[in-house]
Amino acid sequence: MRPERRFGATGSLGASVGVLVLGLAAAWASGRVLDLRAGDLAPGAGGWQLAGDFFGRALRPALAFEGAYDGGRLGVVLQAGRAAVTTVAFAAAAVSLSLVGGLVMGFLGSSAWWPGRRAAAVTVPVRLLAAAMRSVHELIWAVLLLAAFGTDRLVAVLAIAIPYAGTLAKVFAEMIDEAPRDAAGALAAAGASPLQGFAVGLLPRAVPDMTAYAFYRFECALRSAAVLGFFGFPTLGYYLSASFENLHYGEVWTYLYALFVLVLAVDAWSGRLRREVTR
Amino acid sequence: MSARAAEVARLWRTRPRRPFVAWSVRALGLIFAASWLLGGFQASGWLTPRRQANLARFLHEIRPWPVRDTAWDDGAVRAWMAELWRLHGGGALMATLAVSVAAIVLAAAVGALAAPLAARTFACPEPFVRGGRPPRWTSRAAWTGVGAAVRFGLVVLRAIPEYVWAFLLLALLGPSAWPMVLALAVHNAGILGKLGAEVVENTGTAAPGALRALGASRRQIAFVGLVPLGLPRWLLYVFYRWETCVREAAVLGMLGMSSLGFWIVDARARNRYDEMLFYVAAGALLVLAGDLVSAFVRRAVRRA
Repeated sequence: MRPERRFGATGSLGASVGVLVLGLAAAWASGRVLDLRAGDLAPGAGGWQLAGDFFGRALRPALAFEGAYDGGRLGVVLQAGRAAVTTVAFAAAAVSLSLVGGLVMGFLGSSAWWPGRRAAAVTVPVRLLAAAMRSVHELIWAVLLLAAFGTDRLVAVLAIAIPYAGTLAKVFAEMIDEAPRDAAGALAAAGASPLQGFAVGLLPRAVPDMTAYAFYRFECALRSAAVLGFFGFPTLGYYLSASFENLHYGEVWTYLYALFVLVLAVDAWSGRLRREVTR
Repeated sequence: MSARAAEVARLWRTRPRRPFVAWSVRALGLIFAASWLLGGFQASGWLTPRRQANLARFLHEIRPWPVRDTAWDDGAVRAWMAELWRLHGGGALMATLAVSVAAIVLAAAVGALAAPLAARTFACPEPFVRGGRPPRWTSRAAWTGVGAAVRFGLVVLRAIPEYVWAFLLLALLGPSAWPMVLALAVHNAGILGKLGAEVVENTGTAAPGALRALGASRRQIAFVGLVPLGLPRWLLYVFYRWETCVREAAVLGMLGMSSLGFWIVDARARNRYDEMLFYVAAGALLVLAGDLVSAFVRRAVRRA
């Protein structure tokens, strides 16, 4: 037994150090390609002014609108709340759609689902399709779908759902294939059909992990939905960018805090769920 | 009721239950249903005549323009792609890759420095030692404060999406590659700091605890006990995040910086859908290549 294994190290230290050195060299080369200079990190005079104005409002987020529009004393807070609810709605619609696609493609793409040698004829095309779907980012899907269909709320939902379905398909297929086969094997030995063995023996072993991962994707979808607002959908990103461009920095902080609270709440929820499931 | 049915019923009643998970699933199902019912995502009226015309035009114009109204000609398409590659595609692809690499190395460095301070087994008066003499309350309070502050800082970094970070940094720093690099680095430092803290906490207390008992300082423990044990697992996480960085680096160009995303929205603004599709495909191939490289490296690192 090699010495580092005795203390519970996972993996090869030699290969890791090699990768580390290569990574640093690649970073240096990247800096040259991008012409990154430390001097450019300091904002210009206008940048400092802007930074002062912007960060000066960090602890004083706006409650009422800063512009001419009068929405009452808590106008921005109410607007942020409405935008947060809309963000959740976009994320939830997208994740529910991607769960349908991810489950179907995940089952079809898992080798455990297909007994025998015919597996590759189905699993390989399904996995390639899933890889293609997730190799395009949700914001790029949004640009493509907006060009094809024009502006519609469903476009934003599809833009998130397509790459997420590809990711879910891959992860679900791996979870099904990596679930312990003991119960399914025992059922098969007792005379159960492959379908019975899969449905009763294998699938229940994978479902907790799949549930936890679905919650994690919901958390990711919230961030994606918020950012889709920059493309004109009425989620948090829309109001955030509009306020920033109008120089209403207090409002920007209100929306940032709303996003922060939203992500934190779902993060805590899905984190607790993950701990309960893996316990 | 037969004995077998009674046994099945008894097993069903005494099955292990997770009420939190069950209620969470129900709550999420309700949120799904409510968002479809009230969110205004109706598919009816989806394909209006105007939208159909738009779609038909889009499908016509994504054909490369040298063969748009003629039969497909491999040579002409290849020459068209070579020209796009020479003009912007190759440079944008390199820039996208470079942004992702520079960002992940910065994020990994910051995350690695923050990880021990965020780990509950390290940011405490006597790291990795159970029992022993009770620490002074000042020392305990100081370490609890440091740990909580670092963990909170990491949460703030990762709660704000990369795109929002880039949007804000672009306004502050002006146009260069830095806003893209920093935005990706900041968000991923928050994630890698958290994952690194988990690596430190899961490394086990045997080796670092023994070093501590021999009188080693915190820094000595970190370099002799933690880095050799945790580095491989840490690198697995770094490469997982790098895969995401490649995707995001392409997208951040949409804010007006010179990665693939810039040329995608530029082509869209000029209604050159064929060029747009070319850049999207180039980005997808880069992402797939990145995933392959990452999978290869992760396998090399995992093999012991």
